[in-house]
Amino acid sequence: MKSIELLGKGEEMHGRAYIKLSADEIEESIKKLKENGFNHFVMLSCVDWLDKGKFELVYHMWNYEEKEHAMLSVDIDRNNAVMKSMSHLFPQIETYEREIHEMYGIKFEGNNRLTPFLLENWPHDPPMRKDFDSKKFVKQMYESIPFIEGDENEGI
Amino acid sequence: MKEYELFIGPQHPGITGNMMYHLWVDGDTVTKAECNVGYLHRGFEKLMESRLWMQNIPLVCRICVPEPDVNEAAYSMAVEQLMDWEIPDRAKYIRTIVLELARIAAYLMAIGSYAGSIGIYTLPQWSMGDRDYILDIFEQLTGARVYHIYIWPGGVRWDMPAELPRLIEKTLNYIEERLKLYDDVLFENRVFFDRAVGVGKIPCNKAIEWGVTGPNLRACGYGYDVRKLEPYAAYDEIDFDIVSYPDLGKFDAHEAGDVYTRMIIRRLEIEQSIAIIRQALKKMPEGEHILKHPNWLRWKVPEGYAFARVESSKGEFGYFVVSDGGLKPVRVHVRGPSYTHGINVAEKLLQGANIADVSQILFSLDICPPDIER
Repeated sequence: MKSIELLGKGEEMHGRAYIKLSADEIEESIKKLKENGFNHFVMLSCVDWLDKGKFELVYHMWNYEEKEHAMLSVDIDRNNAVMKSMSHLFPQIETYEREIHEMYGIKFEGNNRLTPFLLENWPHDPPMRKDFDSKKFVKQMYESIPFIEGDENEGI
Repeated sequence: MKEYELFIGPQHPGITGNMMYHLWVDGDTVTKAECNVGYLHRGFEKLMESRLWMQNIPLVCRICVPEPDVNEAAYSMAVEQLMDWEIPDRAKYIRTIVLELARIAAYLMAIGSYAGSIGIYTLPQWSMGDRDYILDIFEQLTGARVYHIYIWPGGVRWDMPAELPRLIEKTLNYIEERLKLYDDVLFENRVFFDRAVGVGKIPCNKAIEWGVTGPNLRACGYGYDVRKLEPYAAYDEIDFDIVSYPDLGKFDAHEAGDVYTRMIIRRLEIEQSIAIIRQALKKMPEGEHILKHPNWLRWKVPEGYAFARVESSKGEFGYFVVSDGGLKPVRVHVRGPSYTHGINVAEKLLQGANIADVSQILFSLDICPPDIER
């Protein structure tokens, strides 16, 4: 596969190139792939590996000429979730980083638009983290609403 | 002149669903636009991590309301990649027919709502009515009109009834006749030329870098379509052409990447889809429609990363599925085409546009907020 040849590492997984990189290599690698025909940035995904104590960021890139899909994967520490922003390379990365910042609490240095995206006034933990228990959260939030005494239909 | 702020949406007929654009206007020219979403966020991706592989099928179709089948297909394909399954030939053809019918239905909705945005209110009524005939087919095939829960990992849920091809053929003939009227009312209408040509142009050299896909990319002159690039279902056995600028058949080609070209591409692709369905019905083999499946309650999917993409009426739909070999997925991430079209691309296109053109630019991009928010 072309992306594996270009970056000198990686493996094929279900017809896609899966390339494990370190956080320092990612910017150069995306630039290199972009110059070599991988000009469509598909998406940026985040996977929370709670038991391994890390977040995995997956940069998906697609080459229209070679018809090849490359997944560049970077692990970052779960306790110190900071990553360099790549939004200068493709404009839509800005939005993906905004969402991941909100949903996983990863800080992207260099992205000036890490404003609330889907959630508004969210004071709790980032909800897509594996240790965020949605059932427990719903119970705490909605069963704690105080019961209003008096006629049920009053004031409606 | 003093600058004003203007809020379009989330409750506004000129907006593509439950989303909001915050505009800064100088006179009647937009100087800056900001997209604000979050009104439809239902946490599907989080929910999918706590449900069995099979329980996610009724969930994923709700990610795109006008065209739910692409989600079922992409999710099923990703799971099939992980399982290393090859689905039966008959299932491939049935999937092709279902996906193309869904595409026609979604295009009818897109064309109707676009026409409404430039003040031609006849077409929304017609196209929504005509879409219902396609929903009738779905009702006979799957039992449901909008969310079909029909495409499953390993094939399709039920076989196609023997009498259905006749109904499909009848409906396709009807839609073909109706398209002539659509041309009279919208596509050959002077109002459409005057409003749409040269408006909301995507700079063609930037289109791929901005993440534009689907009909919007083909309007910029790139003949890229997932159905050809990475054929899924039975598309590799079917003969069809990609409609792209500047080859617009009987319609005149004006400028690449503008509202006019984007809508004409959608109009021409309806005809293309009709031709694909007719071929698929002719070529459809007999046989099984689904693989022998495991016990859904104890079904474990092998460890790995899979990415499946399909061509929806709005652009490229992708599913990234991660499994650790367990009963439930570790992560399902959905790439909706509107994620780029609705936020970065729309924000750039709206800059410098006239207020009156805002809603037609948004409708011509065919933005669908549910696939931004998932």
